[in-house]
Amino acid sequence: MSTLFTQLWKNGGFWIGVGETLYMTVASALLAYIIGLPLGIVLVITDKDGLTPIAWLNKTIGILVNVFRSIPFIILMVALIPFSRAILGTSIGNGAMILMLVVASAPYVARMVESSLKEVDRGVIEAARSMGADTFKIIWKVYLPEAKPSLIVGAIISTVTILGYSAMSGTIAGGGLGSIAVTQARPSNAQDVIWLCVALMVIIVQIIQEVGMLIARKVDKRVRSSVKKHRKNNTETLG
Amino acid sequence: MIHLINLSKSYSSSDGVVSALENVNLTIPDGTIYGIIGLSGAGKSTLVRCINLLERPTEGRVVIDGEEVTRLPKKRLLELRRNVGMIFQNFNLLEQRTVEANVRFPLELIKMPREQANLRVAELLELVGLTDKAKSYPSQLSGGQKQRVAIARALATKPKYVLCDEATSALDPTTTESILKLIKDINKKLGVTVVVITHEMRVVESICTHVAVIDNSRIAEEGLVSEVFSYPQSDIAKQLIIPNLIRSLSGGEGAKLRLVFNGELSDEPIISAMAMECRVAVNILYADTKNIDGKPFGHMVITVPSDKADTVKRFLDAHSVSYREEV
Repeated sequence: MSTLFTQLWKNGGFWIGVGETLYMTVASALLAYIIGLPLGIVLVITDKDGLTPIAWLNKTIGILVNVFRSIPFIILMVALIPFSRAILGTSIGNGAMILMLVVASAPYVARMVESSLKEVDRGVIEAARSMGADTFKIIWKVYLPEAKPSLIVGAIISTVTILGYSAMSGTIAGGGLGSIAVTQARPSNAQDVIWLCVALMVIIVQIIQEVGMLIARKVDKRVRSSVKKHRKNNTETLG
Repeated sequence: MIHLINLSKSYSSSDGVVSALENVNLTIPDGTIYGIIGLSGAGKSTLVRCINLLERPTEGRVVIDGEEVTRLPKKRLLELRRNVGMIFQNFNLLEQRTVEANVRFPLELIKMPREQANLRVAELLELVGLTDKAKSYPSQLSGGQKQRVAIARALATKPKYVLCDEATSALDPTTTESILKLIKDINKKLGVTVVVITHEMRVVESICTHVAVIDNSRIAEEGLVSEVFSYPQSDIAKQLIIPNLIRSLSGGEGAKLRLVFNGELSDEPIISAMAMECRVAVNILYADTKNIDGKPFGHMVITVPSDKADTVKRFLDAHSVSYREEV
Protein backbone atom coordinates (compact mmCIF):
# COMPACT_ATOMS: atom_id res chain seq x y z
CA MET A 1 0.00 0.00 0.00
CA SER A 2 1.35 3.41 -0.97
CA THR A 3 2.06 6.04 1.66
CA LEU A 4 -0.39 8.38 -0.07
CA PHE A 5 -3.13 5.78 0.31
CA THR A 6 -2.48 5.35 4.04
CA GLN A 7 -2.33 9.09 4.47
CA LEU A 8 -5.61 9.72 2.65
CA TRP A 9 -7.23 6.79 4.39
CA LYS A 10 -6.21 8.13 7.82
CA ASN A 11 -7.10 11.80 7.33
CA GLY A 12 -10.38 11.00 5.57
CA GLY A 13 -9.08 12.43 2.29
CA PHE A 14 -11.14 9.98 0.26
CA TRP A 15 -14.34 11.03 1.96
CA ILE A 16 -13.55 14.67 1.45
CA GLY A 17 -12.96 13.79 -2.22
CA VAL A 18 -16.34 12.06 -2.44
CA GLY A 19 -17.98 15.03 -0.75
CA GLU A 20 -16.34 17.54 -3.09
CA THR A 21 -17.20 15.54 -6.17
CA LEU A 22 -20.83 15.30 -5.08
CA TYR A 23 -20.94 18.96 -4.14
CA MET A 24 -19.55 20.11 -7.49
CA THR A 25 -21.74 17.73 -9.44
CA VAL A 26 -25.01 18.46 -7.67
CA ALA A 27 -24.50 22.22 -7.49
CA SER A 28 -23.50 22.38 -11.15
CA ALA A 29 -26.38 20.20 -12.25
CA LEU A 30 -28.89 22.33 -10.33
CA LEU A 31 -27.55 25.59 -11.72
CA ALA A 32 -27.28 24.08 -15.21
CA TYR A 33 -30.97 23.18 -15.01
CA ILE A 34 -31.93 26.63 -13.79
CA ILE A 35 -30.43 27.95 -17.02
CA GLY A 36 -30.94 24.99 -19.34
CA LEU A 37 -34.55 24.16 -18.54
CA PRO A 38 -35.95 27.54 -19.61
CA LEU A 39 -33.68 27.50 -22.66
CA GLY A 40 -34.96 24.06 -23.63
CA ILE A 41 -38.54 25.21 -23.21
CA VAL A 42 -37.91 28.28 -25.34
CA LEU A 43 -36.30 26.11 -28.01
CA VAL A 44 -39.43 23.95 -28.20
CA ILE A 45 -41.97 26.77 -28.02
CA THR A 46 -40.29 29.02 -30.58
CA ASP A 47 -39.63 26.18 -33.02
CA LYS A 48 -41.33 26.55 -36.39
CA ASP A 49 -43.82 23.85 -35.37
CA GLY A 50 -44.02 25.19 -31.82
CA LEU A 51 -46.76 27.10 -30.03
CA THR A 52 -45.33 30.53 -30.78
CA PRO A 53 -42.79 30.25 -33.57
CA ILE A 54 -40.10 32.94 -33.33
CA ALA A 55 -37.50 32.02 -35.91
CA TRP A 56 -34.73 34.47 -34.95
CA LEU A 57 -34.85 33.60 -31.24
CA ASN A 58 -34.90 29.89 -31.95
CA LYS A 59 -31.97 30.20 -34.36
CA THR A 60 -29.96 32.36 -31.97
CA ILE A 61 -30.34 30.05 -29.00
CA GLY A 62 -29.79 27.02 -31.21
CA ILE A 63 -26.51 28.38 -32.55
CA LEU A 64 -25.28 29.45 -29.10
CA VAL A 65 -26.07 26.03 -27.70
CA ASN A 66 -24.25 24.31 -30.54
CA VAL A 67 -21.21 26.55 -30.24
CA PHE A 68 -20.81 25.90 -26.52
CA ARG A 69 -21.41 22.20 -26.96
CA SER A 70 -18.75 21.86 -29.58
CA ILE A 71 -15.94 23.34 -27.48
CA PRO A 72 -13.99 20.61 -25.67
CA PHE A 73 -14.37 21.11 -21.93
CA ILE A 74 -10.70 21.42 -21.18
CA ILE A 75 -10.39 24.27 -23.68
CA LEU A 76 -13.57 25.90 -22.44
CA MET A 77 -12.08 25.88 -18.94
CA VAL A 78 -9.00 27.75 -20.06
CA ALA A 79 -11.10 30.18 -22.05
CA LEU A 80 -13.34 30.84 -19.07
CA ILE A 81 -10.56 31.77 -16.69
CA PRO A 82 -10.96 35.54 -17.24
CA PHE A 83 -14.75 35.20 -17.03
CA SER A 84 -14.48 33.35 -13.74
CA ARG A 85 -12.12 36.01 -12.38
CA ALA A 86 -14.55 38.73 -13.35
CA ILE A 87 -17.52 37.01 -11.78
CA LEU A 88 -16.11 35.18 -8.76
CA GLY A 89 -12.88 37.09 -8.28
CA THR A 90 -10.95 33.85 -8.69
CA SER A 91 -10.29 31.28 -11.38
CA ILE A 92 -9.29 28.41 -9.14
CA GLY A 93 -11.00 26.13 -6.66
CA ASN A 94 -14.32 24.36 -6.47
CA GLY A 95 -16.36 27.52 -6.95
CA ALA A 96 -14.64 28.33 -10.25
CA MET A 97 -15.03 24.71 -11.26
CA ILE A 98 -18.77 24.87 -10.67
CA LEU A 99 -19.01 28.00 -12.79
CA MET A 100 -17.19 26.29 -15.64
CA LEU A 101 -19.25 23.13 -15.33
CA VAL A 102 -22.44 25.18 -15.49
CA VAL A 103 -21.34 27.05 -18.61
CA ALA A 104 -20.38 23.77 -20.25
CA SER A 105 -23.44 21.78 -19.25
CA ALA A 106 -26.32 24.29 -19.47
CA PRO A 107 -26.41 24.06 -23.30
CA TYR A 108 -26.27 20.30 -23.03
CA VAL A 109 -29.16 20.38 -20.56
CA ALA A 110 -31.11 22.66 -22.91
CA ARG A 111 -30.86 20.05 -25.67
CA MET A 112 -31.84 17.26 -23.26
CA VAL A 113 -34.90 19.21 -22.14
CA GLU A 114 -35.77 20.05 -25.73
CA SER A 115 -35.73 16.43 -26.80
CA SER A 116 -37.80 15.35 -23.77
CA LEU A 117 -40.46 17.97 -24.46
CA LYS A 118 -40.57 17.07 -28.12
CA GLU A 119 -41.58 13.56 -27.15
CA VAL A 120 -44.88 14.89 -25.81
CA ASP A 121 -47.66 13.85 -28.17
CA ARG A 122 -48.62 16.73 -30.46
CA GLY A 123 -52.21 15.61 -30.24
CA VAL A 124 -52.26 16.24 -26.50
CA ILE A 125 -50.93 19.74 -27.07
CA GLU A 126 -53.61 20.30 -29.67
CA ALA A 127 -56.28 19.05 -27.25
CA ALA A 128 -55.08 21.53 -24.63
CA ARG A 129 -55.21 24.32 -27.22
CA SER A 130 -58.75 23.29 -28.14
CA MET A 131 -59.70 23.74 -24.49
CA GLY A 132 -58.47 27.30 -24.50
CA ALA A 133 -55.12 26.83 -22.74
CA ASP A 134 -52.58 29.57 -23.44
CA THR A 135 -48.89 28.94 -24.05
CA PHE A 136 -47.90 29.32 -20.40
CA LYS A 137 -50.58 26.90 -19.23
CA ILE A 138 -49.57 24.40 -21.87
CA ILE A 139 -45.95 24.53 -20.72
CA TRP A 140 -46.88 24.28 -17.07
CA LYS A 141 -49.76 21.83 -17.21
CA VAL A 142 -49.02 19.76 -20.29
CA TYR A 143 -45.41 19.82 -21.48
CA LEU A 144 -43.63 19.57 -18.14
CA PRO A 145 -45.92 17.05 -16.38
CA GLU A 146 -46.29 14.87 -19.47
CA ALA A 147 -42.54 14.86 -20.10
CA LYS A 148 -41.64 14.35 -16.43
CA PRO A 149 -40.33 10.77 -16.67
CA SER A 150 -38.25 11.64 -19.71
CA LEU A 151 -36.97 14.83 -18.05
CA ILE A 152 -35.85 12.82 -15.04
CA VAL A 153 -33.99 10.35 -17.23
CA GLY A 154 -32.37 13.32 -18.99
CA ALA A 155 -31.36 14.77 -15.63
CA ILE A 156 -29.65 11.52 -14.68
CA ILE A 157 -27.67 11.46 -17.91
CA SER A 158 -26.72 15.12 -17.51
CA THR A 159 -25.66 14.64 -13.91
CA VAL A 160 -23.47 11.67 -14.74
CA THR A 161 -21.87 13.64 -17.56
CA ILE A 162 -21.20 16.56 -15.23
CA LEU A 163 -19.71 14.15 -12.71
CA GLY A 164 -17.29 12.99 -15.38
CA TYR A 165 -16.26 16.55 -16.24
CA SER A 166 -15.80 17.39 -12.57
CA ALA A 167 -12.80 15.05 -12.54
CA MET A 168 -10.87 17.74 -14.41
CA SER A 169 -11.07 20.11 -11.47
CA GLY A 170 -7.46 19.28 -10.58
CA THR A 171 -6.33 21.46 -13.47
CA ILE A 172 -7.63 24.57 -11.73
CA ALA A 173 -6.77 23.45 -8.22
CA GLY A 174 -10.20 22.22 -7.37
CA GLY A 175 -10.93 19.14 -5.30
CA GLY A 176 -12.82 15.91 -5.67
CA LEU A 177 -11.94 12.34 -6.56
CA GLY A 178 -10.68 13.25 -10.00
CA SER A 179 -8.31 15.78 -8.53
CA ILE A 180 -6.97 13.22 -6.03
CA ALA A 181 -6.32 10.74 -8.80
CA VAL A 182 -4.80 13.18 -11.28
CA THR A 183 -2.87 15.68 -9.18
CA GLN A 184 -1.96 13.62 -6.12
CA ALA A 185 -1.80 9.96 -7.06
CA ARG A 186 -0.47 10.25 -10.61
CA PRO A 187 2.87 11.99 -9.80
CA SER A 188 3.75 9.43 -7.10
CA ASN A 189 2.31 6.60 -9.20
CA ALA A 190 0.01 5.49 -6.35
CA GLN A 191 -1.99 2.95 -8.35
CA ASP A 192 -4.04 1.88 -5.35
CA VAL A 193 -5.26 5.45 -4.81
CA ILE A 194 -6.17 5.82 -8.49
CA TRP A 195 -8.15 2.61 -8.49
CA LEU A 196 -10.01 3.42 -5.29
CA CYS A 197 -10.99 6.77 -6.83
CA VAL A 198 -12.21 4.93 -9.92
CA ALA A 199 -14.20 2.51 -7.76
CA LEU A 200 -15.77 5.32 -5.75
CA MET A 201 -16.76 7.15 -8.96
CA VAL A 202 -18.33 4.00 -10.33
CA ILE A 203 -20.31 3.52 -7.14
CA ILE A 204 -21.53 7.14 -7.16
CA VAL A 205 -22.60 6.87 -10.80
CA GLN A 206 -24.37 3.60 -10.08
CA ILE A 207 -26.28 5.11 -7.18
CA ILE A 208 -27.32 8.17 -9.19
CA GLN A 209 -28.37 5.95 -12.08
CA GLU A 210 -30.35 3.45 -10.03
CA VAL A 211 -32.09 5.95 -7.77
CA GLY A 212 -32.86 8.21 -10.73
CA MET A 213 -34.34 5.44 -12.83
CA LEU A 214 -36.39 4.26 -9.88
CA ILE A 215 -37.88 7.73 -9.51
CA ALA A 216 -38.49 8.00 -13.24
CA ARG A 217 -40.36 4.71 -13.24
CA LYS A 218 -42.31 5.67 -10.15
CA VAL A 219 -43.60 8.94 -11.59
CA ASP A 220 -44.45 7.49 -14.99
CA LYS A 221 -48.15 6.68 -15.13
CA ARG A 222 -48.01 5.04 -18.50
CA VAL A 223 -48.27 1.69 -16.84
CA ARG A 224 -46.36 -1.20 -18.28
CA SER A 225 -45.98 -3.26 -15.15
CA SER A 226 -49.62 -4.02 -14.43
CA VAL A 227 -50.44 -5.74 -17.67
CA LYS A 228 -52.56 -8.27 -15.86
CA LYS A 229 -54.65 -5.64 -14.13
CA HIS A 230 -54.99 -3.78 -17.41
CA ARG A 231 -56.38 -6.84 -19.12
CA LYS A 232 -58.78 -7.51 -16.31
CA ASN A 233 -60.12 -3.97 -16.43
CA ASN A 234 -60.67 -4.20 -20.13
CA THR A 235 -62.59 -7.41 -20.16
CA GLU A 236 -64.81 -6.19 -17.38
CA THR A 237 -66.13 -3.16 -19.16
CA LEU A 238 -65.22 -3.30 -22.77
CA GLY A 239 -65.90 -0.08 -24.58
CA MET B 1 -75.14 28.55 -35.23
CA ILE B 2 -71.82 28.15 -36.96
CA HIS B 3 -71.29 29.89 -40.28
CA LEU B 4 -68.32 29.25 -42.47
CA ILE B 5 -68.11 31.92 -45.12
CA ASN B 6 -65.86 31.65 -48.18
CA LEU B 7 -63.34 29.74 -46.16
CA SER B 8 -60.02 28.91 -47.79
CA LYS B 9 -56.86 27.49 -46.36
CA SER B 10 -53.60 26.85 -48.11
CA TYR B 11 -50.19 25.82 -46.91
CA SER B 12 -46.90 26.67 -48.48
CA SER B 13 -44.70 23.63 -48.69
CA SER B 14 -41.50 22.79 -50.48
CA ASP B 15 -43.40 21.92 -53.64
CA GLY B 16 -45.39 25.12 -53.76
CA VAL B 17 -48.70 26.14 -52.30
CA VAL B 18 -51.02 23.32 -51.32
CA SER B 19 -54.66 24.09 -50.97
CA ALA B 20 -56.54 22.31 -48.19
CA LEU B 21 -59.82 24.20 -48.40
CA GLU B 22 -61.26 26.21 -51.23
CA ASN B 23 -64.11 28.59 -50.82
CA VAL B 24 -66.09 26.57 -48.32
CA ASN B 25 -69.52 27.82 -47.29
CA LEU B 26 -71.37 25.95 -44.63
CA THR B 27 -74.06 26.64 -42.06
CA ILE B 28 -74.35 24.37 -39.08
CA PRO B 29 -77.72 24.90 -37.39
CA ASP B 30 -78.03 24.61 -33.62
CA GLY B 31 -79.05 21.26 -32.21
CA THR B 32 -77.98 19.25 -35.23
CA ILE B 33 -75.44 16.50 -35.60
CA TYR B 34 -73.65 17.68 -38.69
CA GLY B 35 -71.55 15.13 -40.53
CA ILE B 36 -68.67 16.15 -42.74
CA ILE B 37 -67.60 13.21 -44.81
CA GLY B 38 -64.82 12.81 -47.30
CA LEU B 39 -61.95 10.61 -48.31
CA SER B 40 -58.66 11.09 -46.52
CA GLY B 41 -56.84 14.17 -47.72
CA ALA B 42 -60.07 15.84 -48.78
CA GLY B 43 -59.56 18.61 -46.24
CA LYS B 44 -62.07 17.65 -43.58
CA SER B 45 -59.64 17.75 -40.67
CA THR B 46 -58.46 21.18 -41.71
CA LEU B 47 -62.07 22.29 -41.99
CA VAL B 48 -62.95 21.30 -38.45
CA ARG B 49 -59.77 22.90 -37.08
CA CYS B 50 -60.71 26.14 -38.76
CA ILE B 51 -63.91 26.27 -36.71
CA ASN B 52 -62.08 26.75 -33.40
CA LEU B 53 -59.09 28.30 -35.15
CA LEU B 54 -56.62 25.60 -34.21
CA GLU B 55 -55.73 26.36 -37.78
CA ARG B 56 -56.20 29.82 -39.12
CA PRO B 57 -57.96 30.02 -42.49
CA THR B 58 -56.04 31.97 -45.11
CA GLU B 59 -59.24 33.57 -46.32
CA GLY B 60 -62.84 33.80 -45.28
CA ARG B 61 -64.71 34.11 -42.03
CA VAL B 62 -65.87 31.85 -39.24
CA VAL B 63 -68.88 33.18 -37.40
CA ILE B 64 -70.13 31.46 -34.26
CA ASP B 65 -73.33 32.79 -32.68
CA GLY B 66 -72.93 36.06 -34.54
CA GLU B 67 -69.38 36.55 -33.35
CA GLU B 68 -66.67 36.68 -35.96
CA VAL B 69 -64.15 34.23 -34.58
CA THR B 70 -61.55 35.01 -37.20
CA ARG B 71 -61.30 38.55 -35.86
CA LEU B 72 -61.31 37.88 -32.14
CA PRO B 73 -58.42 39.05 -30.00
CA LYS B 74 -56.39 36.21 -28.57
CA LYS B 75 -57.90 36.31 -25.09
CA ARG B 76 -61.45 36.22 -26.33
CA LEU B 77 -60.55 33.37 -28.68
CA LEU B 78 -59.31 31.29 -25.75
CA GLU B 79 -62.62 31.93 -23.99
CA LEU B 80 -64.55 30.98 -27.08
CA ARG B 81 -62.74 27.66 -27.31
CA ARG B 82 -64.27 26.76 -23.96
CA ASN B 83 -67.63 26.90 -25.69
CA VAL B 84 -66.44 24.54 -28.40
CA GLY B 85 -65.36 21.14 -27.09
CA MET B 86 -63.31 18.83 -29.24
CA ILE B 87 -62.60 15.12 -29.35
CA PHE B 88 -59.99 13.36 -31.45
CA GLN B 89 -59.25 10.13 -33.21
CA ASN B 90 -56.38 9.35 -30.85
CA PHE B 91 -58.20 10.56 -27.74
CA ASN B 92 -55.30 12.83 -26.75
CA LEU B 93 -55.60 12.30 -23.04
CA LEU B 94 -52.91 13.47 -20.66
CA GLU B 95 -51.10 10.21 -19.96
CA GLN B 96 -49.71 11.34 -16.62
CA ARG B 97 -53.08 12.33 -15.17
CA THR B 98 -55.81 10.13 -13.81
CA VAL B 99 -59.16 9.93 -15.55
CA GLU B 100 -60.70 12.44 -13.15
CA ALA B 101 -57.75 14.80 -13.44
CA ASN B 102 -58.07 14.67 -17.21
CA VAL B 103 -61.72 15.66 -17.01
CA ARG B 104 -60.83 18.36 -14.48
CA PHE B 105 -58.18 19.84 -16.78
CA PRO B 106 -60.44 22.29 -18.64
CA LEU B 107 -61.97 23.31 -15.32
CA GLU B 108 -58.52 24.09 -13.93
CA LEU B 109 -58.00 26.31 -16.96
CA ILE B 110 -61.02 28.40 -16.04
CA LYS B 111 -59.91 28.37 -12.39
CA MET B 112 -63.06 26.72 -11.10
CA PRO B 113 -62.79 26.16 -7.32
CA ARG B 114 -61.55 22.64 -6.60
CA GLU B 115 -64.64 21.37 -4.80
CA GLN B 116 -67.02 22.61 -7.42
CA ALA B 117 -64.79 21.15 -10.11
CA ASN B 118 -64.76 17.76 -8.42
CA LEU B 119 -68.55 17.72 -8.32
CA ARG B 120 -68.68 18.55 -12.00
CA VAL B 121 -66.13 15.82 -12.77
CA ALA B 122 -68.17 13.22 -10.88
CA GLU B 123 -71.27 14.29 -12.78
CA LEU B 124 -69.47 13.98 -16.13
CA LEU B 125 -67.97 10.60 -15.34
CA GLU B 126 -71.41 9.36 -14.49
CA LEU B 127 -72.73 10.71 -17.79
CA VAL B 128 -70.16 8.71 -19.73
CA GLY B 129 -70.42 5.69 -17.45
CA LEU B 130 -66.89 5.70 -16.06
CA THR B 131 -67.43 6.54 -12.40
CA ASP B 132 -65.50 3.44 -11.34
CA LYS B 133 -62.48 4.43 -13.42
CA ALA B 134 -62.00 7.86 -11.87
CA LYS B 135 -58.64 6.97 -10.32
CA SER B 136 -57.32 4.97 -13.26
CA TYR B 137 -54.73 6.24 -15.69
CA PRO B 138 -55.39 6.37 -19.45
CA SER B 139 -52.92 3.56 -20.10
CA GLN B 140 -55.18 1.27 -18.08
CA LEU B 141 -58.21 1.93 -20.26
CA SER B 142 -59.47 0.48 -23.50
CA GLY B 143 -59.89 2.67 -26.57
CA GLY B 144 -63.60 3.08 -26.02
CA GLN B 145 -63.09 4.06 -22.40
CA LYS B 146 -60.44 6.58 -23.39
CA GLN B 147 -62.82 8.18 -25.86
CA ARG B 148 -65.47 8.38 -23.13
CA VAL B 149 -63.01 10.22 -20.92
CA ALA B 150 -62.24 12.54 -23.82
CA ILE B 151 -65.95 13.18 -24.30
CA ALA B 152 -66.40 13.93 -20.61
CA ARG B 153 -63.44 16.30 -20.80
CA ALA B 154 -64.82 18.03 -23.89
CA LEU B 155 -68.13 18.57 -22.10
CA ALA B 156 -66.63 19.82 -18.83
CA THR B 157 -67.05 23.51 -19.53
CA LYS B 158 -70.61 22.98 -20.81
CA PRO B 159 -69.87 23.85 -24.40
CA LYS B 160 -72.61 24.55 -26.87
CA TYR B 161 -70.67 22.85 -29.64
CA VAL B 162 -68.61 19.69 -29.81
CA LEU B 163 -66.29 18.92 -32.71
CA CYS B 164 -65.48 15.26 -33.33
CA ASP B 165 -62.45 14.62 -35.50
CA GLU B 166 -62.63 10.99 -36.65
CA ALA B 167 -63.67 10.16 -33.12
CA THR B 168 -64.46 6.53 -33.83
CA SER B 169 -61.91 5.74 -36.51
CA ALA B 170 -59.54 4.05 -34.08
CA LEU B 171 -62.25 1.90 -32.51
CA ASP B 172 -63.69 -1.50 -33.31
CA PRO B 173 -67.27 -1.71 -34.66
CA THR B 174 -68.95 -2.55 -31.34
CA THR B 175 -67.15 0.20 -29.48
CA THR B 176 -67.83 2.61 -32.32
CA GLU B 177 -71.51 1.95 -31.95
CA SER B 178 -71.50 2.63 -28.21
CA ILE B 179 -69.53 5.85 -28.66
CA LEU B 180 -71.88 7.02 -31.41
CA LYS B 181 -74.82 6.28 -29.17
CA LEU B 182 -73.23 8.35 -26.44
CA ILE B 183 -72.68 11.25 -28.83
CA LYS B 184 -76.29 11.03 -29.93
CA ASP B 185 -77.47 10.96 -26.31
CA ILE B 186 -75.44 14.04 -25.53
CA ASN B 187 -76.91 15.84 -28.50
CA LYS B 188 -80.40 14.96 -27.35
CA LYS B 189 -80.02 15.38 -23.59
CA LEU B 190 -77.79 18.42 -23.48
CA GLY B 191 -78.80 20.00 -26.77
CA VAL B 192 -75.17 20.19 -27.82
CA THR B 193 -74.57 20.81 -31.51
CA VAL B 194 -72.14 18.22 -32.81
CA VAL B 195 -69.89 18.42 -35.84
CA VAL B 196 -68.73 14.98 -36.89
CA ILE B 197 -65.75 14.55 -39.20
CA THR B 198 -65.49 11.08 -40.64
CA HIS B 199 -64.63 8.98 -43.65
CA GLU B 200 -67.09 6.29 -42.64
CA MET B 201 -70.55 6.24 -44.09
CA ARG B 202 -71.99 4.27 -41.21
CA VAL B 203 -71.12 7.06 -38.80
CA VAL B 204 -73.11 9.62 -40.77
CA GLU B 205 -75.85 7.11 -41.37
CA SER B 206 -76.34 6.24 -37.75
CA ILE B 207 -76.20 9.62 -35.99
CA CYS B 208 -76.14 12.62 -38.30
CA THR B 209 -79.05 14.80 -39.23
CA HIS B 210 -77.14 16.80 -41.82
CA VAL B 211 -74.22 15.95 -43.99
CA ALA B 212 -71.71 17.78 -46.13
CA VAL B 213 -69.62 15.82 -48.58
CA ILE B 214 -66.18 17.26 -49.06
CA ASP B 215 -63.95 16.43 -51.97
CA ASN B 216 -60.76 17.99 -53.21
CA SER B 217 -60.90 20.84 -50.69
CA ARG B 218 -64.44 21.80 -51.70
CA ILE B 219 -67.91 21.04 -50.47
CA ALA B 220 -69.38 18.83 -53.16
CA GLU B 221 -72.81 18.52 -51.68
CA GLU B 222 -74.70 19.16 -48.47
CA GLY B 223 -78.11 18.86 -46.93
CA LEU B 224 -80.25 16.61 -44.80
CA VAL B 225 -78.86 13.12 -44.48
CA SER B 226 -82.11 11.58 -45.69
CA GLU B 227 -82.01 13.65 -48.87
CA VAL B 228 -78.34 13.37 -49.68
CA PHE B 229 -78.41 9.66 -49.02
CA SER B 230 -81.41 9.02 -51.15
CA TYR B 231 -80.41 11.14 -54.07
CA PRO B 232 -76.71 11.83 -54.09
CA GLN B 233 -75.94 14.34 -56.83
CA SER B 234 -72.19 14.65 -56.96
CA ASP B 235 -69.89 11.90 -58.13
CA ILE B 236 -68.09 11.78 -54.82
CA ALA B 237 -71.31 11.46 -52.85
CA LYS B 238 -72.46 8.66 -55.10
CA GLN B 239 -69.15 6.97 -54.66
CA LEU B 240 -69.30 7.25 -50.89
CA ILE B 241 -72.94 6.43 -50.45
CA ILE B 242 -73.52 3.76 -53.05
CA PRO B 243 -70.76 1.27 -52.66
CA ASN B 244 -68.88 0.28 -55.80
CA LEU B 245 -70.41 -3.09 -55.33
CA ILE B 246 -73.82 -1.85 -56.34
CA ARG B 247 -72.67 -0.03 -59.40
CA SER B 248 -70.64 -2.90 -60.66
CA LEU B 249 -73.50 -5.30 -60.16
CA SER B 250 -74.50 -6.94 -63.34
CA GLY B 251 -76.70 -9.88 -63.92
CA GLY B 252 -80.33 -10.29 -64.58
CA GLU B 253 -81.92 -9.04 -67.70
CA GLY B 254 -84.17 -6.06 -67.72
CA ALA B 255 -84.38 -2.83 -65.81
CA LYS B 256 -82.13 -2.30 -62.85
CA LEU B 257 -83.70 -0.24 -60.09
CA ARG B 258 -82.13 1.07 -56.92
CA LEU B 259 -84.70 1.42 -54.17
CA VAL B 260 -83.96 3.83 -51.38
CA PHE B 261 -85.47 3.33 -47.97
CA ASN B 262 -85.15 6.42 -45.90
CA GLY B 263 -87.39 5.65 -43.02
CA GLU B 264 -90.56 6.93 -44.58
CA LEU B 265 -91.92 3.48 -45.10
CA SER B 266 -93.48 1.22 -42.52
CA ASP B 267 -92.00 -2.24 -42.39
CA GLU B 268 -94.51 -3.91 -44.67
CA PRO B 269 -93.06 -6.62 -46.92
CA ILE B 270 -92.88 -4.34 -49.94
CA ILE B 271 -90.97 -6.63 -52.30
CA SER B 272 -93.35 -9.53 -51.78
CA ALA B 273 -96.29 -7.23 -52.26
CA MET B 274 -94.76 -5.92 -55.45
CA ALA B 275 -94.08 -9.39 -56.81
CA MET B 276 -97.63 -10.47 -56.19
CA GLU B 277 -99.41 -7.35 -57.24
CA CYS B 278 -97.43 -6.72 -60.40
CA ARG B 279 -97.02 -10.42 -61.17
CA VAL B 280 -93.38 -9.93 -61.75
CA ALA B 281 -90.29 -12.00 -61.01
CA VAL B 282 -88.02 -9.77 -58.96
CA ASN B 283 -84.35 -10.46 -58.82
CA ILE B 284 -82.63 -8.94 -55.79
CA LEU B 285 -79.02 -8.14 -56.68
CA TYR B 286 -78.06 -6.33 -53.55
CA ALA B 287 -79.68 -5.33 -50.33
CA ASP B 288 -78.33 -3.41 -47.40
CA THR B 289 -81.17 -2.27 -45.27
CA LYS B 290 -81.47 -1.94 -41.58
CA ASN B 291 -84.26 -1.31 -39.21
CA ILE B 292 -83.89 1.85 -37.17
CA ASP B 293 -86.74 2.56 -34.76
CA GLY B 294 -88.98 0.23 -36.75
CA LYS B 295 -88.33 1.97 -40.08
CA PRO B 296 -86.23 0.57 -42.87
CA PHE B 297 -83.16 2.49 -44.06
CA GLY B 298 -80.78 1.60 -46.83
CA HIS B 299 -80.55 0.52 -50.42
CA MET B 300 -81.75 -2.39 -52.44
CA VAL B 301 -80.97 -3.12 -56.07
CA ILE B 302 -83.41 -5.23 -58.05
CA THR B 303 -83.93 -6.16 -61.64
CA VAL B 304 -87.30 -6.69 -63.24
CA PRO B 305 -88.10 -7.71 -66.81
CA SER B 306 -88.05 -4.67 -69.10
CA ASP B 307 -91.65 -5.08 -70.17
CA LYS B 308 -92.78 -4.97 -66.55
CA ALA B 309 -90.63 -2.00 -65.56
CA ASP B 310 -93.37 0.57 -65.92
CA THR B 311 -95.82 -1.47 -63.85
CA VAL B 312 -93.25 -1.82 -61.12
CA LYS B 313 -92.46 1.89 -61.18
CA ARG B 314 -96.12 2.73 -60.81
CA PHE B 315 -96.36 0.33 -57.92
CA LEU B 316 -93.37 1.95 -56.23
CA ASP B 317 -94.77 5.42 -56.81
CA ALA B 318 -98.07 4.34 -55.32
CA HIS B 319 -96.30 3.06 -52.23
CA SER B 320 -94.04 6.08 -52.06
CA VAL B 321 -90.83 4.11 -52.32
CA SER B 322 -88.02 6.23 -53.71
CA TYR B 323 -86.14 4.61 -56.54
CA ARG B 324 -83.76 5.30 -59.32
CA GLU B 325 -83.12 3.52 -62.49
CA GLU B 326 -79.50 2.53 -62.69
CA VAL B 327 -77.66 1.73 -65.84
